[in-house]
Amino acid sequence: MRNIRIFLRVLTETTTGLKRGGWSNWLVISILAVALTIFGGVLQTTMAIKSVVSSWGSQLEISAYLKDGFDPQKVARNVSQLPDVQLVEIVPKEVAWQEMQNNYKVAALNNPLPNTLHIKLANVQAVEKTADKLKAFTSIEHIRFPLKVARNLNKVRQFLEIAGFVVTGALSAATLVVIGNTIHLVIQSRQREIEILSLTGVSPWYIKGPLILQGASYGMGAALIAGAILFCLHAYMDPYIHEQLLSFLPMNSSVMDVGLLPTLIVVLTLGVAVGAGGSAWTSGRYIKI
Amino acid sequence: MIRLQNIHKEYNGKSALTDVNLHIGLGEFAFLVGPSGAGKSTLMRLLYREEAPTRGTVTIGGVNITRLSRGQVPLLRRRLGIVFQDFKLLPKQTVFDNVAYVLRALGVDEVDVRRRVNSALAIVSLEDKTAEFPETLSGGEQQRVGIARAIVNGPPVLLADEPTGNLDPQTSLEIVQLLDRISQRGTTVLISTHDQPIVDAMRKRVISLKNGQIISDVNSGIYEMEALR
Ligand SMILES: Nc1ncnc2c1ncn2[C@@H]1O[C@H](COP(=O)(O)OP(=O)(O)OP(=O)(O)O)[C@@H](O)[C@H]1O
Ligand SMILES: [Mg+2]
Repeated sequence: MRNIRIFLRVLTETTTGLKRGGWSNWLVISILAVALTIFGGVLQTTMAIKSVVSSWGSQLEISAYLKDGFDPQKVARNVSQLPDVQLVEIVPKEVAWQEMQNNYKVAALNNPLPNTLHIKLANVQAVEKTADKLKAFTSIEHIRFPLKVARNLNKVRQFLEIAGFVVTGALSAATLVVIGNTIHLVIQSRQREIEILSLTGVSPWYIKGPLILQGASYGMGAALIAGAILFCLHAYMDPYIHEQLLSFLPMNSSVMDVGLLPTLIVVLTLGVAVGAGGSAWTSGRYIKI
Repeated sequence: MIRLQNIHKEYNGKSALTDVNLHIGLGEFAFLVGPSGAGKSTLMRLLYREEAPTRGTVTIGGVNITRLSRGQVPLLRRRLGIVFQDFKLLPKQTVFDNVAYVLRALGVDEVDVRRRVNSALAIVSLEDKTAEFPETLSGGEQQRVGIARAIVNGPPVLLADEPTGNLDPQTSLEIVQLLDRISQRGTTVLISTHDQPIVDAMRKRVISLKNGQIISDVNSGIYEMEALR
């Protein structure tokens, strides 16, 4: 009972503190929300890329797009003479076109697709070697293979990780400063109460608890906003990215469907940690008991 | 109740208290006197553990408080009542709420709060001012609220550092007489003061500090101005 009463008082004090925070509440929450959105976006994107990379990076396949006027059968025979080639599958342009029309609503144009060979190799080491040889074929317009795409995606991911975490770090530091100022103001306005509570033996947690909860609620508020933004991005951007990826490399792109929930949990945890941690640090600095 | 043994307190190598030995018994009433800078406030702060001594032992109610952990300090302070020179009342809260403030923070239930606050306010004769705000009270009344708050938790020890420093002579005497009545109910009371007329009027134990040392400690004493000069 006693603890419940104390807890309710702590909650009341937290509300009072939030009221005293005034406009700086919104400053804290917006900066933190921006930081968390960027952090969550980077996290989600890099996780998706990782998933794509790990799935494509191990695929032993090269797609070769043939120039018009060459006989796919003949080219396939030549290609299968190469070392390490295990299987050559021919996808005539009519078949590819039919498939595309089944899957997507495309305008009834003339078939723009080339004849394609799917070349299966014996091992990963052979992929790039064979790719070089294929490039020399006059009958082949260009080639694509998942390993290369994976490599490039990985570079994008590394850049994103560094840039994203630098930006998140800078914004978190800014958040800490703003939280520190806000909590300091609340402490100053409660100076006398804090002194009385401390000198009469009220537990330090009763004194600091409301401040820490205030910080945590900033974190929660910011995480909710960031979560909503991420949710919308996830819902509207993903189909678009799928399309881009598919047009780039006609392959199974569902490997990039990484669930949003883990990211949201990380964002919430980080937000609460930054908020509560920032105010705990400030209260520790200004409240000596 | 209060025991100091071979207490030394230094601030940055400068000595504020030197080899202080002192014992104040249960229910006793004592003045701590001395000129400015003598070390009165320092001694008080050692008792409520705002500071720790550089050397020596402080015991309160048989408990050695010299080396308390951070978690134990609040437990000590719950057994002390502290009265301040500047009252330290919350201006936006009524007399009742000021006295109830700490009890509520300690999770005491509201029925108990009401009973204890009313009884403390009765002791300081402020039953009819419970709903007023501090700024509408006289200095003496404000200090009585401060005293009610200090005794509301029933502490065995009451410490008052210059409780009459902001009050006129007549009011000061009333406040000290009130503290004396509280001591007669069994509370150990230690008052630091500069106020010679009051000390002389009360004829109580007088502990004189000068340059951080106890130079005299007499029962039914007066403020020895000459010795302290
Ligand atoms: N926090 C501190 N840091 C450094 N020196 C201090 C501190 N507190 C007290 N002192 C020094 O210790 C000595 C005793 O101070 P103290 O405040 O205890 O005196 P006092 O008897 O209460 O004086 P007053 O009657 O003016 O209140 C003084 O020389 C003072 O400068
Ligand atoms: Mg003093």
